[in-house]
Amino acid sequence: MPLLELRNLYKSFGGLQAISNVSLTVEEGEIVSIIGPNGAGKSTLFNLITGVYKPDRGDIFFEGQRINGLSPDQVTKRGIARTFQNLRLFTHLTVLENVLIPQHHRLKSGWLGAVLRTPAYLREEEKMREVALEKLSFFGPRLMSFRLHQPVYVLSYANRRRTEMARAMATGAKLLLLDEPSAGMNPKETKEITQIIRRFRDEGGYTIVLVEHKMNLVGEISDRVVVLDYGEKIAEGNYHDVVNDPKVIEAYLGRREE
Amino acid sequence: MRNHLLTLATVGLVTLGLYLLTQMDGTSGLLSALRLIFIWGIAAISLNLINGQLGILSLGHHGFMLVGGYVTALLMLPEKERRPFRTRLLSDWARDNLDLDKWLRGLGLDFIANSIDLKFIIALFIAGLAAALLGVLVGAPSLRLKGDYLAIVTFGFGEIIRLLPNAPEVAAFTNGPLGIKGIPGDAGTIWWTFFAFLFVLWFFTRLKFSSYGRAFEGIREDEIAAEAMGVNLAYHKVLAFTISAFFAGVAGGLYASYLQSVDTQTFNFFVTFFLLVAISLGGLGSITGAVIGTAVVVLVRNYGGFLEQPYPAWVGYLSGALLMLGAFAFSAYIRKTRRLRPVIETKHYIFGAIGLALLLVTVFFRNEPWMTQTVQFFGMRKILLAVILILIMIYRREGVMGRAEFSWKLIFGPREDIPSEEQRKQDAWLSNPELNPGASETKEDDDASA
Ligand SMILES: Nc1ncnc2c1ncn2[C@@H]1O[C@H](COP(=O)(O)OP(=O)(O)OP(=O)(O)O)[C@@H](O)[C@H]1O
Ligand SMILES: [Mg+2]
Repeated sequence: MPLLELRNLYKSFGGLQAISNVSLTVEEGEIVSIIGPNGAGKSTLFNLITGVYKPDRGDIFFEGQRINGLSPDQVTKRGIARTFQNLRLFTHLTVLENVLIPQHHRLKSGWLGAVLRTPAYLREEEKMREVALEKLSFFGPRLMSFRLHQPVYVLSYANRRRTEMARAMATGAKLLLLDEPSAGMNPKETKEITQIIRRFRDEGGYTIVLVEHKMNLVGEISDRVVVLDYGEKIAEGNYHDVVNDPKVIEAYLGRREE
Repeated sequence: MRNHLLTLATVGLVTLGLYLLTQMDGTSGLLSALRLIFIWGIAAISLNLINGQLGILSLGHHGFMLVGGYVTALLMLPEKERRPFRTRLLSDWARDNLDLDKWLRGLGLDFIANSIDLKFIIALFIAGLAAALLGVLVGAPSLRLKGDYLAIVTFGFGEIIRLLPNAPEVAAFTNGPLGIKGIPGDAGTIWWTFFAFLFVLWFFTRLKFSSYGRAFEGIREDEIAAEAMGVNLAYHKVLAFTISAFFAGVAGGLYASYLQSVDTQTFNFFVTFFLLVAISLGGLGSITGAVIGTAVVVLVRNYGGFLEQPYPAWVGYLSGALLMLGAFAFSAYIRKTRRLRPVIETKHYIFGAIGLALLLVTVFFRNEPWMTQTVQFFGMRKILLAVILILIMIYRREGVMGRAEFSWKLIFGPREDIPSEEQRKQDAWLSNPELNPGASETKEDDDASA
């Protein structure tokens, strides 16, 4: 049973067909990249999976269960977490708080217990802190000491991206959807994040679907590449085959005039 | 541990101070100001949960307070005060049985019925529950709306609730527009307000620094992100509305027993308005700020009376002149010390010129009849509050406290968000390509590390 399965998804905005007849399966432990020109529908696909938009037609299965129609928080509870293309951090909260909030949905204590600080609640809070530090430690010590207590708005762009990835992991998800994880990073940082994403899978046990424009990153870590163009899946396969596919070249470069 | 001791010591000192105040003569004015600060403080802190921490503009707080006020009034009202308007009740059963005393005695709880203090606590609790129920009712349908639309809906709800006691159908309970008088005030001494206030401080601080408080603030920061991170928006919004309404109801009950009367004008929209002013002054999202803001508002209202006394007109001209000159001096000073380019702008000179002109006019025409006639400025206190608010919005938009809270750490340290020398070195190593070839080429960690 695949971890994630999309069956014949359709989504339109007014007259614009943003996703049309897209099917895709993702096996556990895979790293799948979704590429395609701007406006191809990559982010829309993520929004469909995470419940931000409802598909017009088609079904989404996660661990064999149908999840379309669920609200975003329910999807996250099932085990899918995402990052956003344009960063959506809790800007005025600290790094630590940003990585604690995604664990809130797993809290068993009620609000009264939290106010009374029952031993059970304090244990859970302690556990949440450990998980937060564990997820942040993927990125080395740079977010770990004093930065933990700094508000996100003082962080550099790259550190914000890292915080957002740690936040997604902290939800306890199995599947991470990363929307352009290296956007705004320089080549060195991109190289580093490539290694780190691989470690998400190898050490963290996550399955990863990512949207990327940087081809060297895609080529380096993808088990499989899916190409979208005008909302349709035009190619799928390993990196080498896909980038040499004439349809893909055409989508990116346009048709050669004879 | 040290911090807990400090807190306990402070609470002890304040309690002692209050006790001494109650023992002294001539402090009744100050004590009632303090009582108002506690009561409105509770209301402001509860409004702050929705408007500051959850980030939803709610304008219906006076409705919740009114419910609390009426419920407390009706539960505490002695039989003989209640009889005149209860007789209009159609049902004999309701006339005879809607009586807290009777229930308590029926349950064999005579000792509570005999103690006005215990009865007051129970009445406040029921008042809070009634308001909380309403909070659910208002909160739930409001979930589908955002921003301005939600503000209008909450305002509408607040006003509907406020006008409800006037409706003929319920007037037999509420005495219609005449309101309820003769609420026993002896339970509402400063001590109950003070303890309720302490409890509210404790409760809301604990809530804010819990996982639930973080979830609320996540919703404020970014609703979409919070939802994507598994926070159930509907549950948390209704929870916040309910808790907030509960304590608004308690504040309403305390206020009703402070006034010893309640009617539909006691809790009009200006109540919410003043609470909004208070929490904006203090800093939206900060409990400390809500208390500071409330104190400012109450003190201006209670002690600003001299502003509205009759004065000879020249006092007005003179204060106008001094204000203008003061504004000129202050803004010139700010410009000189705070800005990169120390320039004094034309508008500052205009302030100064107007001030000077007013001063000269006052001096030259001091004996003219239009200078010596007596004038009186009603509403000066409100104007003063408005001016304070405007100044805050110009010079410190986030309010006195911003989102921060008072804490002993703030005073005695250590601050965790400032790197030690060692941490700074490690940080430099991480982001310096020459020391650490794995790191970025450009100086990547340009975060404010100071
Ligand atoms: N909420 C919306 N309402 C209307 N149109 C939308 C909406 N969201 C996306 N679209 C449109 O759908 C198309 C696909 O958008 P999408 O954001 O999925 O592209 P993308 O592949 O992520 O592009 P990029 O590489 O620029 O991020 C675009 O034409 C976009 O304008
Ligand atoms: Mg996109």
